Amino acid sequence: MELVFLLICGGLAVISSLLVIFARSTLHSALWMVFSFFMVAIIYVLLHAQFLAMLQVIVYAGAIMMFIIFAIMMLNLRHEKDAKVNTRVSKVVGVAALIVLFLEMMLVSLGNSLSAVQGPITDTLVATHGRVAVISNFLFADYLLPFEVVSILLTAGVIGAVVLAKRVK
Amino acid sequence: MIENQSIYLAISVVLFIIGAAGAVCRRNAIVVFMCIEIMLGGVCIAFVTFSRAHQSLDGIFMVLFVMAVAAAEAAVGLAIFVLMYRKHGSIDLDKFNLLKW
Repeated sequence: MELVFLLICGGLAVISSLLVIFARSTLHSALWMVFSFFMVAIIYVLLHAQFLAMLQVIVYAGAIMMFIIFAIMMLNLRHEKDAKVNTRVSKVVGVAALIVLFLEMMLVSLGNSLSAVQGPITDTLVATHGRVAVISNFLFADYLLPFEVVSILLTAGVIGAVVLAKRVK
Repeated sequence: MIENQSIYLAISVVLFIIGAAGAVCRRNAIVVFMCIEIMLGGVCIAFVTFSRAHQSLDGIFMVLFVMAVAAAEAAVGLAIFVLMYRKHGSIDLDKFNLLKW
């Protein structure tokens, strides 16, 4: 049952990601992107990462896609017809390199050689304490410094965006 | 190993390659940006899969930080696209060779 659900969601994620590339209008690409993000969120739920699934929907499908659709509408890109894939030599070489990379990564991920060292976060611990409590215990103790650094990064990003987009007289 | 681990990893690899191919082939800057987000999504699925397989939370924190960096990247990147559009009237990446002699 879980396998069927995984295959459906994974297939839909792959198909909608392909449609992001092949859609003619930029806005259609953005809407397929939202669908793809929702499918990735369902895959997170299947991996027992419900907290991340909620963040995926709120941050990616909500905030970041709102940014992108806002930019598309502000720049009025509808008249640009560039959906055709151009065939310059560098791009052909790039796609060939990607195919080799794909084969290598599939070889590793489908092989059974990946060992698993078991950590402390077992299913019973999560069931007794709750997932968000366990995550916050680690986030605000072991990962406090990266957390603060990321908040500084976000502030710097917002300030940088405002400074860049301000019209220079 | 968790059940269906290979399938999760295969989905993540396919998403990564689709995103990379789109970033190589498309010329519209915003579509290239979205393809990079697809690549990040594929990487995040691999992180969460290994995090679950190893009964650890490190992968989940990596995904949290990837999300924060992607949000900052979206803010700065879209501001740059607006600037590019204002300067040239287009965001076709093949037309931008400002760093070339």
